[in-house]
Amino acid sequence: MKGIAKSLMVTLSTFTRKPVTRDYPNYHRELPERDRAFPLLLWDKEIDEPFCTGCHACERACPVECMTVLMKDNPNHKSNGGDSSRRKIIDKFWIDYARCMRCNICVEVCNFDAIAMNNTWQGHELSVHDRKDLVMDLEQLLVQSHVGAIKEWVPVLGQSNETNE
Amino acid sequence: MNNSLFGFEINVWFDGLARLGLIVGVMTVVAMGLIYGERKILARFQQRIGPQKTGPFGLLQSVADAIKLVGKEDLRPTAADPWTFELAPYFVFIPIFLGFVSLPFLLDVNIRLLELGLLYFIAVSSVNIVGWVMAGWGSDNRYAMIGGMRAAAQAISYELPLVLSLVVVAMLAGSLNLKDIVEGQAVVPYVVWLPLAFVIFFISTLAEMNRPPFDIPIGESEVVGGPFVEYSGIRWSMFMLGEYASLWILSTLTAAVFLGGYSWPFGEDLGKGYQLLLMGAKSGLYIFVVFWVRASIPRLRIDQLMAYSWKVLLPLSLAQVLVVGFVRVYELPDVVLTAAGILGLVALVSITGRAVASTRRLPGAARTMRSEAA
Repeated sequence: MKGIAKSLMVTLSTFTRKPVTRDYPNYHRELPERDRAFPLLLWDKEIDEPFCTGCHACERACPVECMTVLMKDNPNHKSNGGDSSRRKIIDKFWIDYARCMRCNICVEVCNFDAIAMNNTWQGHELSVHDRKDLVMDLEQLLVQSHVGAIKEWVPVLGQSNETNE
Repeated sequence: MNNSLFGFEINVWFDGLARLGLIVGVMTVVAMGLIYGERKILARFQQRIGPQKTGPFGLLQSVADAIKLVGKEDLRPTAADPWTFELAPYFVFIPIFLGFVSLPFLLDVNIRLLELGLLYFIAVSSVNIVGWVMAGWGSDNRYAMIGGMRAAAQAISYELPLVLSLVVVAMLAGSLNLKDIVEGQAVVPYVVWLPLAFVIFFISTLAEMNRPPFDIPIGESEVVGGPFVEYSGIRWSMFMLGEYASLWILSTLTAAVFLGGYSWPFGEDLGKGYQLLLMGAKSGLYIFVVFWVRASIPRLRIDQLMAYSWKVLLPLSLAQVLVVGFVRVYELPDVVLTAAGILGLVALVSITGRAVASTRRLPGAARTMRSEAA
């Protein structure tokens, strides 16, 4: 009987409280900066080119083989009169988001901190009518970092290496 | 032969038809409102929002549901008994309709004021069990069969305490006419004199409506919906409509019989608007408590349910009848009734508490089987 009375009181107290529901499509909760959506490439704002050198490290490490990387000689390299120290640079890059399983391995193996997991809602809301539209090319992968839409977050691994040196 | 309806003199047959249409229309709208209200209130009990996308504040949710249900295919299993299966919803639905006839909504606002209104209500309200058993039998489905049988067992068991607690009211009022019963409460509502009968009545109505914690016949986790398993579309929606209509009927009856109806407090002279407010508040309170109990208490087992009716509620309501009889015959003061009612309530609470606290005793055969397995 005490239990019945207690359960009635509990439900009454929840009745008087505010609902915890968030009206999701109209209201986006702020995501934590370590939120892990799909991988994208980062833009080096100082030199105005991608960080990625097309070294294939991520492509080889990818367990589901969702990446395709092509490299080229950097036209902006110092030997050509440019201001970049990158001898090679990314030419073409595709990531099949439909195949990616968001394991973060590409981010961990990258030697240049050039790839990161998207930590914005754009990384989650990717519904399309044709699954071919989920194969992102270089431009699509870079645009968010280029316009500064994603919150800067240096992976913990790279950060700690820098401070140790 | 002419009857008067809203002050107009019209033919008896048209009068009957108009009143029938009135029941159907009003009941459907109210049932839809109740479904919306239940979803909203239940959502708040669980800290959700409830329907909000269809129309302003989700008000059109019930309309959307109704359109969806009407649009669905009306399936009948090949092995089902066609007549029993297809007629069952009507047998659930029509008795509930009939229950409306004698209810005193406001002063002189009812379908037809019957001299034996309470008796009529009791007689009609138990007929819909036939429909439940028909639905269970006709579906040719084990779950539906078990559900239908459970519904019959439960309704027959809880009919007795329900009726006995209404008999007590009739004894006190000295009339079976619901109008007289309401007028008898102009000063003090009967819930003050008969607290035990009120509580027993409330518990029995929960069982009668198959509301949680007594929703054993339609328990989704045990019999996957009971008699409704094979129903879809419009027939299923008729069961649903019947359920909410009976919720409304019983809330009105509770308000009229125990809570003073439209006449307590401040009498019947304050006009229809005031009466409407009173009845709305009283039956709304009843409905809210029903939803509250649904949100709080888990479903009982079938043996607990039967035991609770036959071992606890029935003896207590018989004792209540006895006490009221003594009080009426020897013309004792009414305060005796209140005292006896409170004593009975204490007994009810303590018995229920002991029953809740006691561990489950298995029958002998099951106990030996379990010990052998261990």
